[in-house]
Amino acid sequence: MKLDLCLECARGDFRLAVDLHLEGNAAGIFGPSGAGKTTLLHALTGLLHPRSGRIALDGEVLYDSKMSLRVPPHRRRIGMVFQDARLFPHLSVAGNLRYGERLLPADERRIHFNEVVELLEIGGLLERPVRHLSGGERQRVALGRALLASPRLLLLDEPLSSLDRRLKAQILPYLRRVHRTLGVPLLIVSHDLGDILHLTDRLIILDHGRVAGHGRYLDLARDPRVSGILRSSGLLNVLRLRPVEHRPEHGVILLAFAGAPPDAATVVAPYHDGGDGEIDVALRPEDIALALERVEHISIQNQLPGEIVSIHQADSRILCVVNVGTDLLVDITYQALETLELVPGKRVWCLFKAHALQSLASDGENPSHIPIVSV
Amino acid sequence: MSFGLGPEEWAALRLSAMVAMWCALAVAAPGTLFAWLLARRQFAGKGLLDILLHLPLVLPPVAVGYLLLLVCGTNGPVGGWLKQAFNIEIVFTWKAAVLASAVIAFPLMLRSARTAIELVDRRLEEAARTLGATPLRTVLTVTLPLALPGIFAGMVLAFARSLGEFGATIIVAGNILGETQTLPLALFSMLQRPGGEGGALRLMVISILLSYGALALSELVARRLRHMVGVER
Repeated sequence: MKLDLCLECARGDFRLAVDLHLEGNAAGIFGPSGAGKTTLLHALTGLLHPRSGRIALDGEVLYDSKMSLRVPPHRRRIGMVFQDARLFPHLSVAGNLRYGERLLPADERRIHFNEVVELLEIGGLLERPVRHLSGGERQRVALGRALLASPRLLLLDEPLSSLDRRLKAQILPYLRRVHRTLGVPLLIVSHDLGDILHLTDRLIILDHGRVAGHGRYLDLARDPRVSGILRSSGLLNVLRLRPVEHRPEHGVILLAFAGAPPDAATVVAPYHDGGDGEIDVALRPEDIALALERVEHISIQNQLPGEIVSIHQADSRILCVVNVGTDLLVDITYQALETLELVPGKRVWCLFKAHALQSLASDGENPSHIPIVSV
Repeated sequence: MSFGLGPEEWAALRLSAMVAMWCALAVAAPGTLFAWLLARRQFAGKGLLDILLHLPLVLPPVAVGYLLLLVCGTNGPVGGWLKQAFNIEIVFTWKAAVLASAVIAFPLMLRSARTAIELVDRRLEEAARTLGATPLRTVLTVTLPLALPGIFAGMVLAFARSLGEFGATIIVAGNILGETQTLPLALFSMLQRPGGEGGALRLMVISILLSYGALALSELVARRLRHMVGVER
């Protein structure tokens, strides 16, 4: 996907002014409510008319105020999954799914009905009227319906915010699977950082109708201009771990950072039957403590050695980036920084309780706490 | 099985039912079209059009009948043209009765359909657009199916209103026995006749039963329709 966006929109008193160039196959749009996230998506679909600007997707101009060009929504091939699903109540699940597919000439259908039904596990719902669906089922059907229109770009507008934690955890793996298997480029809007980081670490941060930051999550988290906005929803470390060795007789699994060399440090987790697939684990920066040496006689069992990469000050708190094989964000107080005389390059140990680790759902698996016991 | 009805009364009943049916069918399409225009479009003169379309609701039906007579009579602009081009005469036939009651019932159809269309969630229409539906297809596959219960309710209202239409009908269709004499006209004629009270009473009871039946049937069908399109209230 290559998306050029230069837009100015007005909605009542609200103004959105955006100038962006996006490449890659996924990005998250993050920001507080009222930042203009949904307005931006609506302008992309063509449902909302910008005041001026230009939109081009993969080289095709969809909107250009100077040329008075405006491709109508139905010819943009930009799909959208709405927060409230918006299923057609007069059609069955199958009727909803096929709505966009039917409007497409057969040779332009890149995504096939059976494939989507199987991927989203909605085969058992096809004949049902949509009013009998649960919240999670509705969002899956809405996602399938958008996909079957074979969009060139799929927009997800807070697709999970109407769902509770449990349902969210059910949908996220589907989203990821769809994104990976079908290769449809995604733009996901959310005010929940965790939801976005599930799918991509490319972020666009919107605030008060402007782009406050744009880039990789870890870089943005270190950027004092936007870390405040990110922090408002709670910063997260997302660790991708790969099981190295199963020891059911000891009740543990050894895990290593995905992509790390074979001799790198491993972490030990209680045994769980998760197979050999990689798992994503979230760890909040304020749940990590720093020590200058390994601490004995302590209930905290996770101790990872590392080196301070950089130190950033935001408000009264300090954000350290520590490399433990992967970069970890660590949130400490200014007093701790002074006491430990922390400087970039210094060797430290990162300590965190087992229960601070929360697994983000991986493919086909429900999330659970995966306490990691020792290093 | 004459239920104590004379041939004159049977004829009036049959004619009324036929006229009302045609009336309901005649107002359906234009009523829905204008309802959609008023509910979903912005254009210059919308307010004026709105008032114009509602005029038959408040005008004296006799005035409407007289206007139709002027326009559709053999010497009128529309009537003259129809006579010349197709050799069709409207006034003083059952078609005039349909025309008269359709004009009178039009605002009822319009209001019912308009409310129904306004109640269709626009966000569903937006969803259809992002799925590749043209504006026309969106109307045909989302807006109208979801507004169907209201459109149908409008048709039933038009049917019921037509059963009771008197003023405009008598002017433009006349009161010809067996040809344009609908129930209300027959009732009126009987009341004019010495000793006709018995017949008038029977026709009054029939009118009540017919109207009641029509409304009850419409409620049943509307319920089914609402269930079908998934909007249950």
